[in-house]
Order: sequence, then C-alpha cells, then structure tokens
Amino acid sequence: MGMLNLVLANVSRKPATRLYPFEIRAPFEEFKGRIVFNPENCILCGICQKKCPPDAITVTKAEKTWELNVFRCIMCTECINGCPKDCITISNERAKTGAKEYIKIVVPKVDTPKATSSK
Amino acid sequence: MTTVIPFGPQHPVLPEPVSLKLEIDNDVVVGALPSLGYVHRGLEKFIDTKDYNQTMYICERICGICSALHGITYCMSVEKLFNVEVPERAQYLRVINGELNRLHSHLLWLGLFADGFGFESLFYECWKYREGVLDVLERTTGNRVIHSMSKVGGAAKDLTKEHIDLILKMLDTLEPQVKNIDKVFVNNYTVKKRLVGLGVMSKQLAYEAGTAGPTLRGSGNAIDVRETADWDIYKDLGFKPAVEKDGDCYARTKVRINEIYESIKLIRNAISKLPNGDIAIPIKGFPTGEAIMRTEQPRGEVVYYVKGNGTKNLERLKIRTPTFANIPSLLLMLPGVKLADVPIVVLTIDPCISCTER
Repeated sequence: MGMLNLVLANVSRKPATRLYPFEIRAPFEEFKGRIVFNPENCILCGICQKKCPPDAITVTKAEKTWELNVFRCIMCTECINGCPKDCITISNERAKTGAKEYIKIVVPKVDTPKATSSK
Repeated sequence: MTTVIPFGPQHPVLPEPVSLKLEIDNDVVVGALPSLGYVHRGLEKFIDTKDYNQTMYICERICGICSALHGITYCMSVEKLFNVEVPERAQYLRVINGELNRLHSHLLWLGLFADGFGFESLFYECWKYREGVLDVLERTTGNRVIHSMSKVGGAAKDLTKEHIDLILKMLDTLEPQVKNIDKVFVNNYTVKKRLVGLGVMSKQLAYEAGTAGPTLRGSGNAIDVRETADWDIYKDLGFKPAVEKDGDCYARTKVRINEIYESIKLIRNAISKLPNGDIAIPIKGFPTGEAIMRTEQPRGEVVYYVKGNGTKNLERLKIRTPTFANIPSLLLMLPGVKLADVPIVVLTIDPCISCTER
C-alpha cells in the first residue's frame, strides 16, 4: 500500500524534473563554474602553476602569458587560495559545452617582485 | 553436470564492471569465480608525480559516490604523519560533509537496488529524494559529487549560517520522504517475496570472511568503524550502529535504511554542537614515517596506508576499499542462489568496482 499512496500523491504533484534545454535553473551562488583571471595585478610569479594539481595552468615569464587549459581544470580552487595578488577568482556561471580548450591571456604590466621580501 | 556462465563485466543491472564466472547446476549457483581489473587506472602509482596536498584531489576521484570520505580519510592519515591535531570545528565540518555524502550514497543504492529487482517507480522515488541532498551539497561545497571540502590540516570551506539553515531544512523534508520509501522497502509484499531469505550469511561466517560495512552489520555483527576507530568525534555525537540479525538481502536493505536515519541524527547533533574557531591549521614541512587510518564509508571500512620519505611526494599510498573486503563474502553468499537472483545478491554488497581497482 505504501507505494500506491506515493504514486497517487505524485499524480497531483508538479513534475520533479525540468524540461532542460528550455528551462534552465540559475546556478547556485556557491557553484564552482569557471575560473576567471584578471591580468592587471598579475606578477607572473607562477605559484598558481606550481599549486595546480592537474597541471592546467602554464605561466611563461618570457612571453608574459598566463594560460589555462579549461579541459584539464578540476575547479579545486588551489590557484585562487595560492595567488598572492588575488588575480584569480571563480564565477558561478557554467562553462558552455564545447568552449575552446585554452584560455591564453597576455599580462600587460609586470612589476617584477624584488629579490628580498620585506617581512 | 555443471555449466559455467559468465556474469558481467557488462550486465544490464550492474552499474560497474564486475565479472563473475558462475558454475550453474540446474539453474542454481554452485560456485563463483570473480575476475577484477576492468577499470584499473593506476591511481596509487600516479601520486608519485603529485605532492601530498595535491594527492587529496586524486584520492577524491577514486570513487564518485564516496568521494568525500576518501578525501577525508587521506587527509587524516597525512595529519597522522605530521602528528598534528586539526581544529575541532574542522572535524565537525568533516563529519557533516561525510554524513551528507553517506545520505546521498545510500539513497542512490536504494534506487539502484529497486531497479535491480524491477521496481522502477521506487527507483525514481529514491533518486528524486537524493536530488535534495545533492542540491545542498552543491550549495555548501560548490560541487555535486566531488566536494573538495577537506584539505590536509583542516577543512577547505566553512559553513555559514545560511548553509546550516539549508542543511537543517533539507533534513526536515528528507526524513518523512525516507519514511515513505522505508514503508515500501520493509512492508511491500513483492519486495519481501523477492528479498527475504536470499543470500543468507551467518554472523560467524560474515565475521570470519572479513566482511565490511552494512553487509557485516546485516548479519548481526555490531561492528562499525565510526564507533571503534580513532575518529573520536562520533563518540561525542551519540552514534549507534544499525544492526539486523537475519543476514539476508532484506536485512542488509534495512540496515542501509536505518543508517540513513542515523546519519540524519548525526548531522543534526553535529550542527547543534558545532564549535566556533579556526577551520584549518597551517602545515609546513614534508611528511616522514608511516601511518594507517580507518574510517567508515557508505560501503564499509576503508583503510589508508601512507608512507612519507621526507620529500614533498609520498613514497607509498595503499588503499583497502570496502568492496575488496566484501567480494569474498559475496562468493560465500552465492552458492544455493538461483541464477535470476544473482544480480540482487551482487547488488546487496553495494559493489563499487572503481574504488576496488583504482
């Protein structure tokens, strides 16, 4: 009888599913959607590259580029926690399917960090 | 005369590739021989290339269903190497995350099990309720199944007041929903007819075969690592293992349903006792020595062995997963079972082959 009650109750309820491509639920605020890089403060220190578990980030000092392999990124937020200049943030917007594999950003201004760090 | 019939690795009822060679005599199983290794990914060797902080993310990806507890157990074993005590708040956050993970894992299993014996509407019902748990996990940690909530030294993310309200609200709606499916699993005539007296394992045999988790407790052994192992938090939360005596498929189902209630109780207790303070302590240096950590996953006891050699990479990581312990007991359950009932008996150990083969 337990199942019959459930089935009868479900008849009068709204469907539990959505018509996905037509009805898209807004992503939750905390959802880890995609990595956003703000090149303005970047000093090309390479900490994000060292911390990245799947080796998705490549920083080249000679060409002054910051590159993210989106297909490798696992959204662990290690780079965000490691960045000394808070250049990397995360957005709750879902990455579109079939988006390009690499995001390559040229860092405009670079103040090279001094050899002796002040403590 | 016996016939040998291959069961798996591809089988409509199995979500994961376990292969059994069944010896059949007159439609009744007389013997079974397992073969594993279809989804081996070499993850234990792969950690050589990653440092001990990054290894956490590999451990979480061993299994998609019990990911949180793999990560937590790894972190706890490395903390043992460093001989540090993580803040109390972090330990409570780990318990909450781990138990939420257990809720969704058991609801997923109940659904798959109902699908296994042909009760499709019950399968949809279970997975509908699981969606509520997954939404809460997504809102508290940022992801649905791979949470990355724990890190070496504490918790990676804190719970805010809104998150706690969300969890409590979800638990309030989930409890009556679980009671609904509990009634169907426990009282329904068809379900009982299919499960009672099937794949019986005695208390003594289950103990001697080294069975783990709900399979062990379904046979009347009140052994739960949450109660006995080094993780003291569970003792403060008033944890009691769910035990059933009969040792058949029906008893193992009841154990898992009762564990859902137990998890709901544990999360509520953990939230009411959640202390304030730091969520993580900084950890410096490289690990040396050996450590073993055991925790109770949804499927049973998982054992992590780690060995550090003073460099940033661990020298060895060895994982004993619950399904690996449950496969020998499955071979003891199968003789005497009809061929048509084999998928149900295989499903009651909650096989997770990705865990087992890593």
